[in-house]
Amino acid sequence: MVPPAPRCPSVGPVMADERTERVVALLRTPDGQDVDVARLAEVCAEVTGASGAGLMVMSGDMSLGAIATSDHVSAVIEDLQFALGEGPCIDSYHEGRPILVPDLSDPAVGRWISFAPAAIEAGAAAIFAFPLQVGNARLGALNLYADRPRSLTVEQHADAIVVAGLAAQMLLMVQAKAPPGVLAHELSDGANLQYVVHQASGMVAAQLEVSVTQALIRLRGHAFGEGRPLKDVARDVVERRLRFTRSGETDAAGGAPP
Amino acid sequence: MSPQELLTRTFVDLADNLVDDFDVVDLLTLLTDRCVEAFDVTDAGLVLAAPVGAELQVMASSSRTMRDLEIYELQSHEGPCLDCYRTGEPLENVVLANALDRWPRFGPVAIAAGFESVSAQPMRLRGTSIGALNLFCAPGASLSQDDLAGARGFADVATIAILQHQASVDAQVLNNQLQQALTSRVVIEQAKGMLAERADLSIDEAFGVLRRYARAHNIKLHELARSFLDGKVATSTLSGRPTPGP
Repeated sequence: MVPPAPRCPSVGPVMADERTERVVALLRTPDGQDVDVARLAEVCAEVTGASGAGLMVMSGDMSLGAIATSDHVSAVIEDLQFALGEGPCIDSYHEGRPILVPDLSDPAVGRWISFAPAAIEAGAAAIFAFPLQVGNARLGALNLYADRPRSLTVEQHADAIVVAGLAAQMLLMVQAKAPPGVLAHELSDGANLQYVVHQASGMVAAQLEVSVTQALIRLRGHAFGEGRPLKDVARDVVERRLRFTRSGETDAAGGAPP
Repeated sequence: MSPQELLTRTFVDLADNLVDDFDVVDLLTLLTDRCVEAFDVTDAGLVLAAPVGAELQVMASSSRTMRDLEIYELQSHEGPCLDCYRTGEPLENVVLANALDRWPRFGPVAIAAGFESVSAQPMRLRGTSIGALNLFCAPGASLSQDDLAGARGFADVATIAILQHQASVDAQVLNNQLQQALTSRVVIEQAKGMLAERADLSIDEAFGVLRRYARAHNIKLHELARSFLDGKVATSTLSGRPTPGP
């Protein structure tokens, strides 16, 4: 046996068991390559029997958006968590443990006052969030939803933990191949990293002469008050249909927006 | 404490090391000391290639004599730890005097240090070799099969702990890179918006202005974006023309 060649970083599982090996196999294409990051969300849903899945990345306190989502409902769930700054993925990330909600409409749930009804309206009856984490390194969370109230089975729960761990490793390994300081294109290609919202924050910051952080708060407040998705408001700002001034918001013609 | 109890206690202590506050040298020193306590050996030494694939280094030894002997082994490129590391196979009670053709330089030095035989356990996991554990016996002493099995157990647990720790460290480094890349994009998008508003440009035009300026002044784009957002670079500087009035 020959000692290994000089190392490249390896974050893969040190000990593999049957469950891990089975899930790893599902994350490979027939010719043995790792699946696309884009497919990753679909695989997570399939492995766990969920209706859909999304992989959310976070930095510090802030959601940065979704690297991949498997369907429209998952995309809406990620948008909601980003816009509202609350939700099961966010809690799972902060608490470093799975957050399981078999019935979002159950009054005992008691949290996510804004997120829960909006998620139900979008088509999610149950939500299960698992941390995307490798060792002590936290990336974000994996969101699984079901379209009717139900729990994960013991097997599905165990598979979810394994697939979340493997997905986190995969994201890190993909980024490892990118030039430093630049997001790997495999990660950004299929992602929704809410660029429009950040562009709008910059514009509103200039309009109001406040920080971008303040500007985002104003955008969120406006979206909430109008009952509109944050990204739609952001798009209106970027396409200059909506301006923010000290005295209020205006449309392109200088009057109050409809 | 009976040998069995000492073994069990050592396994628990090794497992305790598998948490946050992990110091490799502490762990391996614990390992070698416990080997001397638990088995009929005079001295124990451990070499490790850390990170995986790097040169072997002496990481722990139960005495000064042992340390010097292990260093000599590595410097002379021959000896039981090296054989064990390379082959991944254990050595069992190899009598030094009978192994002089195998270790012509190391052998006599070890004998002169007072040892009669040596056993070695590889530190490896599923094909990855990371080092080896040497156990030296004085004249008349040797390791039983139970002792050899116990030493193998110690080596295995320490290997897992080290590899897990290394994987965790790597993950932290890569996650930092990922976080930086993500937040750099956020800053760039924010700067595009701010410049577009101030200089009355489209988002794409604003991006072009930022890129050209960054290239011309040999700055990283996200650093320029950060400076612009912080008010350290004026809009007129970037766009090269006076800013439109309010």
